[in-house]
Amino acid sequence: MTTATALQYSHTLGFMANQGRGFNNPVDLAFDSDGIIYVLNRAGPEVGVRIAYKRITRCTADEQYLGEFGSGGTGDGGLWWPSSLALDRKDRLYIADEALNRVSIFDREGNYLDKWGAAGSASGQFNRPSFIVFDLDDNLLIADSLNHRVQKYSTDGTFLSQWGSYGTDPGRFNMPWGLAVDEAGNVFVSDWRNDRVQKFDLGGAFVLAFGETGSGEGQFNRPSGLAVDGNGNIIVADWGNERVQVFDAEGRFLASYRGESRDSQWAQDYFAANPDEAAGRWSADLEPEIEARPEYSQHRGYEWERSANVEKLFWGPTSVKLGPDGQVFIVDSLRHRIQIYRPET
Amino acid sequence: MASKELALMAHLLRRAGFGATRDELDTYVSQGYEATVEQLLHPDASPVMDEDLLRRYHIDQNSLMLIESSQAYWLYRIINTHRPLEEKMALFWHGLFATAYGKLNHAKAVVNQTHTFRRNGLGKFADILLELSRDPAMIFWLDNKDNHKDSPNENYGRELLELFSMGIGNYTEDDVKACARAFTGWTIANADYMSVRASRDSIWPHGRLDWQFVYLPGDHDDSEKTFLGHTGPFNGEDVIDIICQQPATAWFVASRLYGFFVSDTPDEASIQFLADTFTETNGDIREVMRALFLSDFFKGESARLARVKSPTELVAGTARLAGSYQFPEWGIVNLAMDVSFMGQEILNPPTVEGWHTGREWIDTGNLVERVNSAALEMGDLARPGVQTVLQRVRARGGTLTPEECVDACLDAIGQFDVTEATRASLIGHASLGGNLEFGERGSADCSEERVAELLQLIVATREYQLA
Repeated sequence: MTTATALQYSHTLGFMANQGRGFNNPVDLAFDSDGIIYVLNRAGPEVGVRIAYKRITRCTADEQYLGEFGSGGTGDGGLWWPSSLALDRKDRLYIADEALNRVSIFDREGNYLDKWGAAGSASGQFNRPSFIVFDLDDNLLIADSLNHRVQKYSTDGTFLSQWGSYGTDPGRFNMPWGLAVDEAGNVFVSDWRNDRVQKFDLGGAFVLAFGETGSGEGQFNRPSGLAVDGNGNIIVADWGNERVQVFDAEGRFLASYRGESRDSQWAQDYFAANPDEAAGRWSADLEPEIEARPEYSQHRGYEWERSANVEKLFWGPTSVKLGPDGQVFIVDSLRHRIQIYRPET
Repeated sequence: MASKELALMAHLLRRAGFGATRDELDTYVSQGYEATVEQLLHPDASPVMDEDLLRRYHIDQNSLMLIESSQAYWLYRIINTHRPLEEKMALFWHGLFATAYGKLNHAKAVVNQTHTFRRNGLGKFADILLELSRDPAMIFWLDNKDNHKDSPNENYGRELLELFSMGIGNYTEDDVKACARAFTGWTIANADYMSVRASRDSIWPHGRLDWQFVYLPGDHDDSEKTFLGHTGPFNGEDVIDIICQQPATAWFVASRLYGFFVSDTPDEASIQFLADTFTETNGDIREVMRALFLSDFFKGESARLARVKSPTELVAGTARLAGSYQFPEWGIVNLAMDVSFMGQEILNPPTVEGWHTGREWIDTGNLVERVNSAALEMGDLARPGVQTVLQRVRARGGTLTPEECVDACLDAIGQFDVTEATRASLIGHASLGGNLEFGERGSADCSEERVAELLQLIVATREYQLA
């Protein structure tokens, strides 16, 4: 795997669709052993016909649509606030749900297999599980956000261990969101409301932390998903700053990306079928300057408004995943797409 | 029996906000009425609500693309704000300058308009009208993007005079034409493309794009115009200045504020007092609101429960009382839909005239909806606010007579202004179960259920449905 010190935009996957080919507020993705991508669509709100828009889309990085499965619901196999997904070594798909406080398991054809988990704060219980990843032993790590901890489970749902509690000291969390595991098995946690990333060893012992509140280089505004490449560089979705930042293995800032999406093939197909809309689009200024307004708050600020105005920018990036060939997939949730970058060699 | 100060404070917070819990009322009373009015009039002194939690959990309320999501977003803000009058003013101006999602197909554009009302809602009326005239949602809603130098569109110019400032009968058709010409060239960026997008609910590849105001000098009619007796090469700003000098405008704004904040029944002398304040302060809404809240006609008995609660006031006020949705929970979209089912689809008013208020909020269907929604909240003992009410009731003693329990419940939710007839009905129902015992576990559970039932009855009363 190559370094991601500098990332080069490659292409964009997906566009908005309530059902079928496309995404609706994707929040996470994962790859199976054949490199097929599973995109988790959270959609919303949870009313009427829109509940069915929650689903998992199967596709490839070169935009072949392979199908979809799953639907909104609270019964077995249902999705309500799906937050993250991961595949084990047997290609079974595990989906965390923040509203239902459970993990649902499917095979890769989308057949429902099982579920486990319950609401609560005891060991083995969840309060809004926001992210799941597998460690090197094929055990599941779960960011249990409102319990401010990381829990480890076997694939059958047996509780194994946990670490973390509420606070700002090293090793403590304030509503952690994202998780990643590097090639050595170290665990990285985006400590959302503490605006930092923390690194732990295999056993959950604190190793280092980096980041602070702000919008400058190396600072965060509520980091969400993150990934670690083969050289140990850490790629973080800086959700509230609407950007992605790259750090070296020691947490030193390397680069920042604001997003530069172009139309995906699916979007181009759409415009080919809707020429009147396409014509207006080509003549419009899609990168307007916007005025900073006094009512913008820290968490609904200028960069958030810029992203609402300029389509190519990240808007609510929630997850970063590495593809089989080292490409970096950034889930651009509010624009209903995946921006794909490749490491510059 | 509640003190007069508590009852007055409850009245103030029902009007200047969305109600207050009993604990909040105690705090306000301890600081005094006038100090509370000043606190309400200066929302900037209170913390702004962080939106990171809302955006994280309600992904649909982050982009605000859909109407249901945007309605839920505003309701959550109202329930959790530390600046109640800021939200109340936004709701007032939203009702007056009614702009609807239905035509725009762009919920965030209407939400953005409400943000300007939050920022400017207590400012100078001239500034409010100026921002309104530059607001992309309004420009789209009343077709000012189609108001060109060579082909004026009178829609915005007409409604600015008729519905937003002076009222019909105070201007001529020529004034309408001149007004429209003054606003030529006031449009939105990429107007043609945005119009195509808004004209259909097709699957836009990457969601909505915000709209931005632009002024196109080449499309502005800068020729001489005669407007309300003044002549000059007027632009929109000049027209607004002239409008704000009119006695009709002062009366118009005063009467609307009176109807929203004081009473469903107009009173000419009181409205004139507010209009005079408007004129004397050059249209300073904060000054008008201060005069209103400190006036005898507002503080007096005749204004108590003199308005029917709007659906938003009823639902948000009850949720605040019950302690519901203090953290993002998925059910809030259903609560927002309750508001719509009661006849007030916020961000999507029925016409440019806004909602018909007062007794028109109540019909046989809406009343059932109102009672059911409020009773569902207050009958749920798991709600933290209901638990707080319960603790207040239990603090009255281990054994309560039905009469004591009714008085304790009314006091604990800050419902001080009830008629003797209503109180007697409540006592009559409570008496069916005899005294309430909170000592032993089994009887305490039963008594807690009876308190919850009583709270449900209280929110079903005529008095609770009024503000």
